[in-house]
Amino acid sequence: MRKFFTLFVEYSTWLLFVLYCSIGFLFIRLQQDDVQAKLHNEGIEFSAAVNEQLMKFNSLFTLKKENEHLMRVNTDLLSRILTLETANVDERNQRKILADTTLNASGFIMARVVDRKFSDRENMLVIDAGWRKGIKKDMTVLVPEGLVGRVTSVSEHYAKVLPLIHPDFKVIVAADSCQSMGVLSWNGGREFIAQVEHIPISSHIKLNERFVTSDFSTFSIRGIPVGRVVRIKPDNLFYDVDIWLAVDFSTLSQVLIAPLKIEPEKIRIMTDDTVTINKKRP
Amino acid sequence: MTKKNYIYILLLCIISLVQEFSFSRMTLFNVSADAVTIFLAFMAVTTSQKVNISFGFAAGVLGGLLTGNMGLHMLARTVGSFTAGYFHTPKESHATINQKSKRFYAAVIVAGLCTNAILSAGNDPLGFSPAYRIVVFGLLESLFNLIFAFVVNWLFLRQSLAN
Repeated sequence: MRKFFTLFVEYSTWLLFVLYCSIGFLFIRLQQDDVQAKLHNEGIEFSAAVNEQLMKFNSLFTLKKENEHLMRVNTDLLSRILTLETANVDERNQRKILADTTLNASGFIMARVVDRKFSDRENMLVIDAGWRKGIKKDMTVLVPEGLVGRVTSVSEHYAKVLPLIHPDFKVIVAADSCQSMGVLSWNGGREFIAQVEHIPISSHIKLNERFVTSDFSTFSIRGIPVGRVVRIKPDNLFYDVDIWLAVDFSTLSQVLIAPLKIEPEKIRIMTDDTVTINKKRP
Repeated sequence: MTKKNYIYILLLCIISLVQEFSFSRMTLFNVSADAVTIFLAFMAVTTSQKVNISFGFAAGVLGGLLTGNMGLHMLARTVGSFTAGYFHTPKESHATINQKSKRFYAAVIVAGLCTNAILSAGNDPLGFSPAYRIVVFGLLESLFNLIFAFVVNWLFLRQSLAN
């Protein structure tokens, strides 16, 4: 027994090391659990609240720049409204088709970006709207210029956004004119260039063509601009396309959050094979 | 616990907050200096390896609370502080201030590399390959840490190390 205690004292540093490492591993494994999620949310709340105060102080110095940006956005929106109003009269016949779109502008929530990190440790945005304002996980985040990202975690007053320029972010996009579809992802490097893969070589894609989000996406509403084609490289079966992103992530201050796209029947039929099998049965 | 330990805990909290809200934003080539690693390296030289592991673990908890990635930060900081603990200089060694400073810089480099390797292995926010993240970012961060440690040592720590 005495030997055991001597050994215990002698190797106490190693034992502590193993104990702490085990706790670390345990927390990594419990990442999805409630306690961890609660701690995570509290962390976001605290971190974002402090950052919000810091940003407020900082915004005093960047007020002029922000005003200029807002003016530019307003001008852009005004021109869009004018264009849409003219197009509205001309395209009355297409209204029925447009009516079934999942885009419902009245349900959009506005939020301010209170924190943004782009380093080797973290790449994310924090917005000052949480579940109290109706934000839910997987909601689409956008600006008038285009797609920003997807909500990944929500606390009471804040939400974390996985930006489009994150290696884990993927969305199905379609070309504006030829409707060719592909999967948009960002593979690192420059923060204004993303890649679109799996576009069949038979499609008639052109340089400077606009890409928008597709209805095939499980979270994003269709028609949100993503960017323009700047490079097309043909492969054996597919095109390898580089697109210049529509959103300038370095100047983001205000964002819109689109309502959650709820298509339970679509998700069910995509994941559940028994639906088809049951129908075949007499 | 001694009064000194309470001061160190308070210092750790302040440094963790400053790191999260200030230093982590000052990036160069997407990498920033890590004040917590420098603090842990200093602790490693002045206190024992056992005490330093506990401080490393506490730094991991604080970092995890502030970033939302608790487990990974706990693991990285514990391993970092454990490796830095090998550079501990006992009081009875009668090491000179220069010898202690050298051990402090070595602890900064080793702890920085270990911490970065674990954080890079478990986290890929910029889409670089693991090898690139661990080697290039690790070396860059160690270099920044070393410069930072040199300045901090020259300005504040020399007296503490001498004592």
